[in-house]
Amino acid sequence: MTQSAWWRRFSVRGVVWRQLLRFAILTVPPWIEPIVMAFWSAFFLLWGPGRRGVMRNLKVIKPGSSAIANFFRCYRVFWNYAWTIADNVRFKELRTIPDWEFIGWNHFQAMQASNGAILLTAHMGSYDLGAHLFSETSTRRIVMVRAPEEDPQTREFEEHHGAEGLRIEFNTRATELALDLLETVRDGAIVAIQGDRVTGSISTLPATFFGKPVNVPAGPFALALAARVPIYPVFVVRVGRRRYRLVTSRPIEITRSRNRDDDFARAVAQWMTELEDVVRGYWYQWFTFEPYWPEAAA
Amino acid sequence: MNVVTDRPEARWLPSRHRFAMARLIAYAELRGARAAANNTEHLILPIDRDQTAAEMNGIAIWVFVTTVCYVVAALPLVWPAAIIVAIPIAAIALHFPIVVIGPIVRMLIGDGDHVKIISVVTMVLLAITSSYFVVSSSWARYVASFFLAVLLVNGAAAVVVWLLRGSIRSAEKRCAR
Repeated sequence: MTQSAWWRRFSVRGVVWRQLLRFAILTVPPWIEPIVMAFWSAFFLLWGPGRRGVMRNLKVIKPGSSAIANFFRCYRVFWNYAWTIADNVRFKELRTIPDWEFIGWNHFQAMQASNGAILLTAHMGSYDLGAHLFSETSTRRIVMVRAPEEDPQTREFEEHHGAEGLRIEFNTRATELALDLLETVRDGAIVAIQGDRVTGSISTLPATFFGKPVNVPAGPFALALAARVPIYPVFVVRVGRRRYRLVTSRPIEITRSRNRDDDFARAVAQWMTELEDVVRGYWYQWFTFEPYWPEAAA
Repeated sequence: MNVVTDRPEARWLPSRHRFAMARLIAYAELRGARAAANNTEHLILPIDRDQTAAEMNGIAIWVFVTTVCYVVAALPLVWPAAIIVAIPIAAIALHFPIVVIGPIVRMLIGDGDHVKIISVVTMVLLAITSSYFVVSSSWARYVASFFLAVLLVNGAAAVVVWLLRGSIRSAEKRCAR
């Protein structure tokens, strides 16, 4: 192993932190957990790019907010992130289930009963935990699409320690994946996709988020149109220690007209309204560590 | 893992609490609880001893503040400086039983009861430290007295919980039915 590869293990997305988290989940008594969480959340404030990314995004979400207030808000984002990834690992390793509250239960049941659907979510709360848990309890097969881990060792670690029963597809092989997913949805499965962030060179659609122009992934909308299935916005929000709220909103139906751009624009606008409402209410659980808006990056 | 659905009062199941004092309080609340209003459309509550936020966060804060006080008392610094230095030292000190004892216990007995052993060892270390401070002339003796008093009260609560075990089991069955 080269010197640079050795050091990469300790980078913020390196495998060492995943190993440390697993060790902590298997070793830390639950009544010491909050102290450990508070300490490590403070430690990760040293991660400059992540901290600055969150603070710049908060500036847009909360216009007129001060840098010092956003610094403490950033700590709250890191604290919530630490708990959600810990709860996810705890479920995978120890099968510990958190408390679940459901809002929009009728929509959730409709999604379960539908003959194929798109579950559109965001990098919020514990989307991984929700997908893993409901893949085991749902009557429908759930296929989760996500970006792969950047670090190869971390990717290997996650594959080795993944939960059974959930099929995960990575969004790197766009064309062949689109055909696979189309067939999967047509077979009656639920495809879970994160629709708030564009990673890599995937196709996008223009949108407006907090009054500013952004791009969102086109995949979920194109898939819903092609398969003629509804899109259900679903958010898994952490509301306390080992306690989550699953919010399912009314479905987004993409109706075909002569102008496909208009069809997409209407669906994207509805999605962005749902997303904006949730991010405004639960800004401390929107885990976007890079500047989201182009001007926020400047 | 067992779960209770759509019964908000099941939050007070003593089985969802770890320490005897918390179990006793939960039992009292459960006896007094009517069918609580459900603010959500569907609710799933797993029965797990470490599930309750108030109990776990309360104990974490109490243990952390106690440890900070002991470190402040041990440092040869003026108060404000000592508190600033003591906070990270206390946080790191509370990691030691996990990092040092954890791997040894896991190596010896494997996965299973190792977290319970680490938990007991950590509490015993805190009790030993409290015993040292309680006989000192430092102001920290009041903190140590409180710590040891809470341990004693919890011990007494454990005896009461054991005596009430039949009633607790019946109340839990009625709620989780």
